[in-house]
Amino acid sequence: MLLEIKSLDSGYGFLQVLWDISLSVDEGEFVALIGPNGAGKSTTLKTISGLLPPQGGEILFAGDSIGGMEGHLVCRKGVAFISEELNLFVNMTVKENLEMGAFTVEDSAKQKENLEFVYELFPRLYERENQYAGTLSGGERKMMAIGRGIMSSPRLMLVDEPSLGLAPMLTNEVFKSLRTLNKRGTTILLVEQNVGKTLKTSSRAYILEKGKIVLDGKSADLANDDHVRKIYLGH
Amino acid sequence: MASAAIEPTIDESAIDKVEQTIENTFVQKVVRWVFSAAGITICLTILIAIVASIHKGPYILVNTIITGGMWALMAIGLSLLFSVMNIAGFAHGEYFMAGSLTAYFVMQPIGKYTLDHPESFITYVGPLIAILAGTFMCAILGVITERLVFKQLRIRNREGWLLNCFLITIGLSVIMQNGHQLIFGADFKGILAYWDFPSVPILGVYISMDRVCAFFIAALTMVGFYMFMMFSTAGKTIRAVSQDEEGARMVGISVDAVHIMTFALSCGLAGLAGASLLFMFPSYPTVGVMPLYNSWFIIILVGFGNVAGSIPGGFMIALFQVLTRSYFGEGWEAVIPVLLISLILIFKPSGIFATKVRTVWDQ
Repeated sequence: MLLEIKSLDSGYGFLQVLWDISLSVDEGEFVALIGPNGAGKSTTLKTISGLLPPQGGEILFAGDSIGGMEGHLVCRKGVAFISEELNLFVNMTVKENLEMGAFTVEDSAKQKENLEFVYELFPRLYERENQYAGTLSGGERKMMAIGRGIMSSPRLMLVDEPSLGLAPMLTNEVFKSLRTLNKRGTTILLVEQNVGKTLKTSSRAYILEKGKIVLDGKSADLANDDHVRKIYLGH
Repeated sequence: MASAAIEPTIDESAIDKVEQTIENTFVQKVVRWVFSAAGITICLTILIAIVASIHKGPYILVNTIITGGMWALMAIGLSLLFSVMNIAGFAHGEYFMAGSLTAYFVMQPIGKYTLDHPESFITYVGPLIAILAGTFMCAILGVITERLVFKQLRIRNREGWLLNCFLITIGLSVIMQNGHQLIFGADFKGILAYWDFPSVPILGVYISMDRVCAFFIAALTMVGFYMFMMFSTAGKTIRAVSQDEEGARMVGISVDAVHIMTFALSCGLAGLAGASLLFMFPSYPTVGVMPLYNSWFIIILVGFGNVAGSIPGGFMIALFQVLTRSYFGEGWEAVIPVLLISLILIFKPSGIFATKVRTVWDQ
C-alpha cells in the first residue's frame, strides 16, 4: 500500500469534519474520492498533505507515518497536492513557478526532464513560459498547478477538484492529462464533484458523505450502484 | 499558380505587422509607464531635483543621492518584513541603533591602530570590517527576535496577528532603547570619520570620503539584494512565501526557514544602514527613531509590501527633506513629509505605486 489511512479524524479547531475515515491507495492506482459539498473531501486531502494536523487516527505513506508532519516535509516524502484554490505564485512567471515546483528535486537533470515532460503534456504552458502566473486564464492556471505538482516527481498526487469552473472541453483535457500521468506511473487520488466523468476515469472510488465513507469499490461497479445512480448521476 | 503569387505578399505584410506590434508594445509600455502614477512621480522627482540643483546649487542632488540610498535600505528591510511575515516593524530603528553601536565598538580599536600605523591597509579595510560587524550583529539579533518572539506568537495565536505584532514591535523598541541606555549610557558614541581622507569634489561640491563610500555601499547592496531576490533559490523561496504561504508549503519550502532568513536580511539591512551612517548619526538610545520614521514615510509613499518601490521611494523622501531644509530652513524637514504622508493616506492609501502584491494578510 502506498497510502493507508486508518480511522482518521480531522477538522478545524472545534469543528470536526472527518469521522473515522479509512482508505487505502495502492501504488499506480487511480482512486477517486467523491461526495457532495461539505462532505470533507478537501479536508481529507489537506490532512494528508500536512496542511492540517489530524485530530486522531493514522496516515501511513509508503510504510512511514506522516500524520501531523509539516507540509513541506510531506512534500519531500513524495506527495504533491494540487489544491482547489491552486496556490500559484501569481507574481512569478510560469517558468519560475515550475522551477519552484522542483524545489525538492536536487538533481538538475531530473528537473530538466520534468520540465520537458510538463511542457510536452501542456504545450500551452510552454507558449506562456515568461508570462506571470497571475495573468493566466482559469484553464491555464489549472494546468500550471498540475504542472507544478509534476515538477517534484511525486509518487502520489492529490488533486482537488480540477474541473471546478472549467468549460467541458478543458475539463476533458485536464482529465486526459491526469490519465497520462497515471499511465506514467504516478499514483493519483482525485477529489471530484463531476461524478460521471470521474467514475469513467478512475479505477476505484470512495464515496464520502457528512465526513464518513459510505461506499467504496470499483468505479465501474459504483457507476451501476443504485445509491450512486440516484444521488449523483441522476438516473 | 495564382495562389503562389499571392502568398509572398501575405507573408510580408504579416511580418510587418508582427514587427509593428512588437515596437508598439515596447513604446506603449514606456508611454503607459510614464503616464502611470509611478512614472509621473519618478519623472517629476528627477525634474524637481534638477531644477532645484540649478537654482540652489548641485549640493541638493548630491545630498539626495547619498542619504536616499540609506533610507531605501532601511525601507527595503521593513517592506520585506511586511510582505513576507505581515509584521509592521516599529522596532526597525532599534536595529539601526544596534548596527551603529556595534560599528562604534569595532571601530574604536581599529581607529587607535590606524592612528599609530597610518600607512597600513587597515586604514582602508578597517571601516568595512566595522560596517560588516554591525550588519551581522543585527542579522543575528533579528534571528533571535524571530525565534524568541514572533515564532512563539505564531505557534500560540494567529488571530489579530497584525495588531499583536505592531504592539510587540513597539514593546521591543522600548526594551532595546532602554537596554542601550542601561548598559551603554545615554551619551553620544560617535566617530569623526571612517575613512580619514580629503574630501572629493563632485559637481563643485566637496563631499567627504565617508559619504561617497556610504553611497557606494548602498548602491552595491541594492544591486546585490535585487540579484539575490530574483536569481538565487533562497531569494525565490522568500518571494514564493510572500506571494502564497500555503503554496510554498505545498512545493516543499520550509516556511519557518524563510522566516528566519527574512528577519536576518531585514534586520541586517537596517544594521548596515546604521553602521554606514555612524559618522553622521553617533549612536545613542533613540538614534533609530528618525530613520524609522523615514522608512515608514517611504513605505506609505510607495505602498505596503512593495519591496522594489522602496528604492525610488527612498530617494524621493530624501529629496523632499533636502528641499524643505534648503527652502524652509532646518526643523521643517520633519513637518512637511508628515503633511505629504497624510495627504497620500487620505487620497491614495494604496501608495503611488499601487502595489499588486498580494500579501499574506489579504489571503
